[in-house]
Amino acid sequence: MKSNVSRRSMIGRVGAALAGLLAAPAARTVRAAVSKGLVSPGAAQGYDPLQHKWVMAIDVNRCIGCGFCVEACKTENRVPSGPYYRTWVERYIITRPDPGAGTARGETLVDSPDGGMRGFGEPAAPERIQHSFFVPKLCNLCKHSPCVQACPVGATFDAPDGAVLIDPKYCIGCGFCIQACPYGCRFLSPATHTAEKCSLCYHRITRGLKPACVEVCPTQARVFGDLQNSAAEDPIRQFYQNNRVQALKPHLGTDPRLFYAGIDKEVR
Amino acid sequence: MRSFFKMPPQVFRLFLLAVGIVVTYLTARYFLTPPSFGQYGWYRGEALAEASARERVYAGRKACDECHSDEYKKLAEHGHKTLSCEGCHGAAQAHADNPDVKLEKPQFSVCVRCHEANPSRPKWHKQIVVKNHYTVSKCTECHVPHMPEEAP
Repeated sequence: MKSNVSRRSMIGRVGAALAGLLAAPAARTVRAAVSKGLVSPGAAQGYDPLQHKWVMAIDVNRCIGCGFCVEACKTENRVPSGPYYRTWVERYIITRPDPGAGTARGETLVDSPDGGMRGFGEPAAPERIQHSFFVPKLCNLCKHSPCVQACPVGATFDAPDGAVLIDPKYCIGCGFCIQACPYGCRFLSPATHTAEKCSLCYHRITRGLKPACVEVCPTQARVFGDLQNSAAEDPIRQFYQNNRVQALKPHLGTDPRLFYAGIDKEVR
Repeated sequence: MRSFFKMPPQVFRLFLLAVGIVVTYLTARYFLTPPSFGQYGWYRGEALAEASARERVYAGRKACDECHSDEYKKLAEHGHKTLSCEGCHGAAQAHADNPDVKLEKPQFSVCVRCHEANPSRPKWHKQIVVKNHYTVSKCTECHVPHMPEEAP
């Protein structure tokens, strides 16, 4: 039988097979070396994200609008100066209705000077106020996060322990997640040109500390805890037990895990 | 071989090209996909460890209690018990790591930030109109921040 395999092609094929045989272990070595180089040296030791379910809750009745949380967040997370906030405090003012308007309430005014970072001064027209309150805002820890769905490169994700995190090495800074977040909780960092958001102070909670905003809150308006490892007397469980809670924009189906107590219907 | 598949040479070349593309793709994917990708989900598992590697700036009240337990105890037994040391004194991880790094003394503005009267503040919170209250000297002349019920 006459073979139509030429000497030339035979040498080529044997060479390719040999190269393949040699390449497989080399590839494994390269991969191992790469993965070794990728392990971050300062990572929290002995922390298993599968064993926790972190969650935050906010009692609006307790917030006094001091802005310590905003300041602490900025410092702790080295948030760029300027109008960039991972958490901020809004002041809601609902004015008295105009006489004869036939409505229960007037207009709703919302402001947040410097994100509330330096506290709040006297409001513009105190005599018009029907009632007023402060609302701290941050990542709503959605179960169905629009930001995660919008990310085209898999840089933002729901970590198994409840935090919604950003992988800055994967983020291409396209800003889709910033548009997608219905709560306005994300921004494009002018320093790194990647998206940034509340990480629940991941570097703190993985070491048994509270997030910086919760740590400095003087009135315990912010409550933080682990749903998977908490006793009944834990503040986070007490919060759910003692309050009627509400999430922001429930009609969007994002199913936030951040709950508010004592919130008004005007809060968006 | 060609006779074996009984396909025209141009189709065979296309087939070879397709195989080449698939092999190139698989090889590239093998090397370019980070090893921790898919560890927890459709993202790089190592990103969690990297997020936890950031250095902290606030030490937490337990760290303060290690050296300043007397002050910490005073605070915990009086009206300001829910306050964190670092709320008024500022971020203290640097001070906890090296006690020679001193913290700034809290100023008058720290008290006023919470206790200046503001119609948006809840009614249960103690508030003063500073200009009607006392403007002569510092708050600490009459109030002890760690024990707000006590007179100095």
